[in-house]
Amino acid sequence: MAKEKKRKAAEEAVDGDDYIEREDKNPKKQKLILASQIKNKEKRSAVYAKLKHEKRVEKRKKIKARDAASKQALELGEEPPEKMVPRTIENTRELDETVCRPDDEELFAGNDADEFSAVLKQQTAPKVLITTCRFNSSRGPAFIKELLSVIPNAQYYKRGTYELKKIVEYAKNKEFTSIIVVHTNRREPDALLLIGLPDGPTAHFRLSNLVLRKDIKNHGNPTSHEPELVLNNFTTRLGHRVGRMIQSLFPQVPNFRGRRVVTFHNQRDFIFFRHHRYVFEVKEKKEGLKDKKSKASQGKTEKKAIARLQECGPRFTLKLVSLQHGTFDTKGGEFEWVHKADMDTSRRRFFI
Amino acid sequence: MPRTSTVESPGCPPLRALTTDSLGLIKVVEVRGKGGGTPQVVETWGPPDASRSVLATSYADRKKDPVLAVARKNGLIEFLNPLKGDVLTTIKASESGSTDQSASANDLLVGLHFFKSKQEDSSSMLGTLLTCTEKGKVCIRSVGRSDAPSDQSIDSPNEWSVTNGGHVLCSSLDPSENYALFGGKHVELNLWDLNSSKKIWAAKPPRPNNLGISIPTWFTASTFLCKDDHRKIVAGTNQHQVRLYDITSQRRAVISIDFRESPIKAVREDTDGHTVYVGTAIGDLASFDMRTGKMVGCYKGKCCGSIRSIAKHPDLPLIASCGLDSYLRIWDTNKRQLLSAVFLKQHLTSVVIDSHFTAQELEGTKPEEPTSQSEVRDQSDQGGNCDEERSRKSKKKRKDAAGKKEKKMKMHDEEQISGIEDPAEKRLDR
Repeated sequence: MAKEKKRKAAEEAVDGDDYIEREDKNPKKQKLILASQIKNKEKRSAVYAKLKHEKRVEKRKKIKARDAASKQALELGEEPPEKMVPRTIENTRELDETVCRPDDEELFAGNDADEFSAVLKQQTAPKVLITTCRFNSSRGPAFIKELLSVIPNAQYYKRGTYELKKIVEYAKNKEFTSIIVVHTNRREPDALLLIGLPDGPTAHFRLSNLVLRKDIKNHGNPTSHEPELVLNNFTTRLGHRVGRMIQSLFPQVPNFRGRRVVTFHNQRDFIFFRHHRYVFEVKEKKEGLKDKKSKASQGKTEKKAIARLQECGPRFTLKLVSLQHGTFDTKGGEFEWVHKADMDTSRRRFFI
Repeated sequence: MPRTSTVESPGCPPLRALTTDSLGLIKVVEVRGKGGGTPQVVETWGPPDASRSVLATSYADRKKDPVLAVARKNGLIEFLNPLKGDVLTTIKASESGSTDQSASANDLLVGLHFFKSKQEDSSSMLGTLLTCTEKGKVCIRSVGRSDAPSDQSIDSPNEWSVTNGGHVLCSSLDPSENYALFGGKHVELNLWDLNSSKKIWAAKPPRPNNLGISIPTWFTASTFLCKDDHRKIVAGTNQHQVRLYDITSQRRAVISIDFRESPIKAVREDTDGHTVYVGTAIGDLASFDMRTGKMVGCYKGKCCGSIRSIAKHPDLPLIASCGLDSYLRIWDTNKRQLLSAVFLKQHLTSVVIDSHFTAQELEGTKPEEPTSQSEVRDQSDQGGNCDEERSRKSKKKRKDAAGKKEKKMKMHDEEQISGIEDPAEKRLDR
């Protein structure tokens, strides 16, 4: 029974399976066994090495054939054969109905009416209050120092023993536009709470993978020019709202001469924060090195402008845990979005 | 391992629901097809404008001359015809009798109840309306139609104050429309007799526990339990408690159930008189049996935002819930299963179900609606570019013959002139 199954499996075997043919005296009874079923370690490892080598040779052949075909097509002037695109989870993401459409007037009306429109329309300048949880140690202060250099017009206040709801009140009196609370757990900054004021939403992010400036190789020191903000891939309605919230932390008119850029890149519901300084350079690239036949064109040098980046400032990832309507009130407030375990039913579904 | 394929949710039976949201839009979601299907947004009424955000709604669900009353943030109360979306009349929430205008400007409307049974046959009166503001001012007044002659006498509004301090957050009208219930932050549940304008019962807070701690009063949702009995009241508090009060027995709660950890934002009774549906601020929806005080079950369906409003279909075992995650969800009450979810883009404030919708109305309604849409645009006094754009878009989308349009326009005109009778006939014919 088992042997029949194996044979059937072997018939449907794909390249990935490690079946080897065992030669048998009777040509009718050709059995196929899994390489992993050989008990002898030396023999088994030898068989594996052989299989791997075979696979590698196959792969190389395929690549060569593909390259030759495309080169031939280019020479003949035909279209090259289609490039193969790897299947990724982002490629096969589930169709999301909450994705923002460019022609959605309800979206624009919602944007005009939401809590950040005052800052984003430059009617008020952003003013950020940074504070921590009650016990702050180790990497926390260093992180906050770097945050202060990243976000212009940010101020740090020690937490003391004030309740967060009181802090919100005091910040409103002093006309801040948002509060950032860095929460530490086990001597590591763990969570970020972004509270919009006066009655903006509260976003709770989980912070991970924090790399401080001193730990980055060849890091640069940021200047105090207003940075350019890059928000990537905030496609859904929820993502749009979170994106606008992040946008309201930074001044709306960046100083391009400062050549400083802050990036929030969303991928698979993780938001990656990067802070770079860039410089444009004109590089002379000699053409004709590839083409040995036409030596006449070697004199031409093409000038290409490229941008070089130097990373400065911290590097961390954020993941949205909950978005609460209104200022901080976890017990009594209404949630607009909360991550629940029964939402993770599909590997290809993301919310931001 | 998480599922890699999608599961099709079972379709809904034919139904029609109207939702209101924080931009003042009223969206009509319908399920067409006799066998059921997926709900779709068929119409959107009103320009998106945050000052017209809807605070409260009341739906007179009757076959003849239904009315949808909508209270907006800018202080206006609009009465709409839920079939076509045209505004029948608009009144100001604050009456001219109030002493100072500045106080009433900050006083937002919290409750709005349109009396269904007190329907007068005269074509000038639309009906009676009960409004309640956050500071506790309750007013009963009669509303005239916009095309009524101005010399018609309207009864003077009946006003009184429900509370001295505190904010009223929830109000409910009993189905026989003789009693009204109010509750809120630092406002105990009060039951008022509307005919005599007297408070007949007030709740008492529960006893402090063995440590001496008493929970502050904060009612966030309330409703009457049975449709023929005004004596049983179910209320939800900010401290995640669902309480049953019986006015004949005692002032304190008879049953008090703790449900999870978020404030109860919406409570709706079932037609059977003992089940209630409860929605919280974190998106949990559950049903409780009020005879025993036990939870019957939770409704699992990826609801991740606060549930603002629950509506029960009077005949079918269906409930609709909407909330801050911008989804309208329709659930089956027998199996507690999600039938379908519709994404409606804004924070939704309330949902009502139109129970007099049948699948046979398909042929009749479809060609009618585009004309009514274009007429609504002409008639309504809401200006703005978005209106024109939307009417252009809707005209492009509709693939109707021009001839049909003209015929229907004539019919619509006739309707306006004759009064109540024609719409009723039309509905029955469909």
